[in-house]
Amino acid sequence: MWFITGASSGLGLEMVRLLAARGVPVCASGRRGPGDLPDDFPNIPYHACDLADPMAVTKLADWAMGQGPLRAVVLNAGAGFFRPLAQETPDAIARVLAINLDANIALAHRLCPVLSGGRLGLIGSVAHKGAAGMPVYAASKSALDGFGRALAEEWRGTVKLRVLHPGPVATGMATRAGRTPDFADRVFLPPRQTAAALLAALNAESGADRQTVSFLRVGLHRVLKGAA
Amino acid sequence: MKVLVTGGASGLGAALVAACRARGDEVCAIDLDPAERSWAHDLGNTDPAAWAALADWLATQGPFDLVILSAGISATGRFETIPLAQHQNVTAVNLAGPIRLVHLLESGHLLRAGGRLICIASLSCFTGYPGAASYAASKDGLAGFARSLRRPMRKRGITVQLACPGPMDTPHATRYAPDGASTKGRLAPDRAAQAILNARSFTIIPGAGPKLAAVLGRLAPQTLTRLMGRVLFSKLK
Ligand SMILES: NC(=O)c1ccc[n+]([C@@H]2O[C@H](COP(=O)([O-])OP(=O)(O)OC[C@H]3O[C@@H](n4cnc5c(N)ncnc54)[C@H](OP(=O)(O)O)[C@@H]3O)[C@@H](O)[C@H]2O)c1
Repeated sequence: MWFITGASSGLGLEMVRLLAARGVPVCASGRRGPGDLPDDFPNIPYHACDLADPMAVTKLADWAMGQGPLRAVVLNAGAGFFRPLAQETPDAIARVLAINLDANIALAHRLCPVLSGGRLGLIGSVAHKGAAGMPVYAASKSALDGFGRALAEEWRGTVKLRVLHPGPVATGMATRAGRTPDFADRVFLPPRQTAAALLAALNAESGADRQTVSFLRVGLHRVLKGAA
Repeated sequence: MKVLVTGGASGLGAALVAACRARGDEVCAIDLDPAERSWAHDLGNTDPAAWAALADWLATQGPFDLVILSAGISATGRFETIPLAQHQNVTAVNLAGPIRLVHLLESGHLLRAGGRLICIASLSCFTGYPGAASYAASKDGLAGFARSLRRPMRKRGITVQLACPGPMDTPHATRYAPDGASTKGRLAPDRAAQAILNARSFTIIPGAGPKLAAVLGRLAPQTLTRLMGRVLFSKLK
């Protein structure tokens, strides 16, 4: 069984669609209630959970463990704002760090015993190198990168852990985050192909612990898959 | 010059406070325990009243010419054997607290134009730190925050710097190192403090050994992290 967070939209949604289409057992979570899922959401177990609520995160981990033996977990949910620090609020700062970092630490901690022999993917962002337009989001993704870097080494030989950093993807997240769409949007990555490249990177036997999944990777994945 | 130091009561923070006072700066500190010209505040505390009180105090002390974020805690051992509450405390004190403090200073215009903001992260930002996963997370997070603020703050005349010290001879290092680890090769905190205060570059790595480790970490990040796993994590588990 696979388990994917942030599956109600964007990359997570494309990942569960791909897995369900391949007949891979998968369960999913998102913040919105089941009634607000897209019409064509695959027929898979879904649990709504606000990852900013630590109690709800514990319940989510227990729910996921109850869905069957977990083979792979993708911690993909993420949130943030495209705005300078002065326009942030203490509550928003706390929420973004809770969702993008602390919830993932908590899920990895609680799921650890059942992950043995399996895989854990952490979805970061190229913003982890620093991003002037979104300092809090960038900080949360840098932190996730440092967390995954350390844990990949601690768990080597037991759990295959990878931190995957997508470049800008056309999921609408950037616009929802407050970024005004401009010419740059035309070079955003296509969500479905990016999701496929992320799954392939996580499934691969060999590969670096931390990888950037940007244009070159997504393009290469399309070409190679097309050829196969 | 007016200086604000977090974690000013101990270790590198105390050395920074002493070095600044010695050159005649007016230094304010934030730490858990109240002391002279300092405010007792737990950066991991999210209680709005505590932050409001801190904001009031800062308003009476500032604006500052130099702010140094030095407060930090750690939790070492196997990730899954460390209680979750401890991990969450590490990220709260080392990352969420400092971001909230900088946000507070920014919205209160408490950092003067021409001033400096120094974030104290760790050499782990270059080497990785198996055996301290939440600590490594918090320090990489602080580094990413500093890198993000660098350009926007420079436009307003404020210099942001990122210090990544390696092991130092401080109570912090002794508390979190593996049992029986040698203290040889650890940098004295007053030397690290001088190096940090004198530095003009964005990234500051005090000491020749740590500088070399950082270069290697840039060239071969995963190899160095595996090495850290072998020499450090294997002793912690
Ligand atoms: N889009 C990009 O350009 C881009 C680039 C690099 C990295 N990433 C990363 O890739 C991941 C997926 O991004 P995306 O583009 O697919 O974003 P998206 O379309 O906005 O989807 C985000 C997902 O996270 C969930 N989520 C947000 N806040 C939550 C909360 N408090 N509790 C539980 N779930 C929550 C959302 O649930 P609801 O919709 O139900 O609220 C949604 O399923 C994120 O980690 C993001 O940071 C995105």
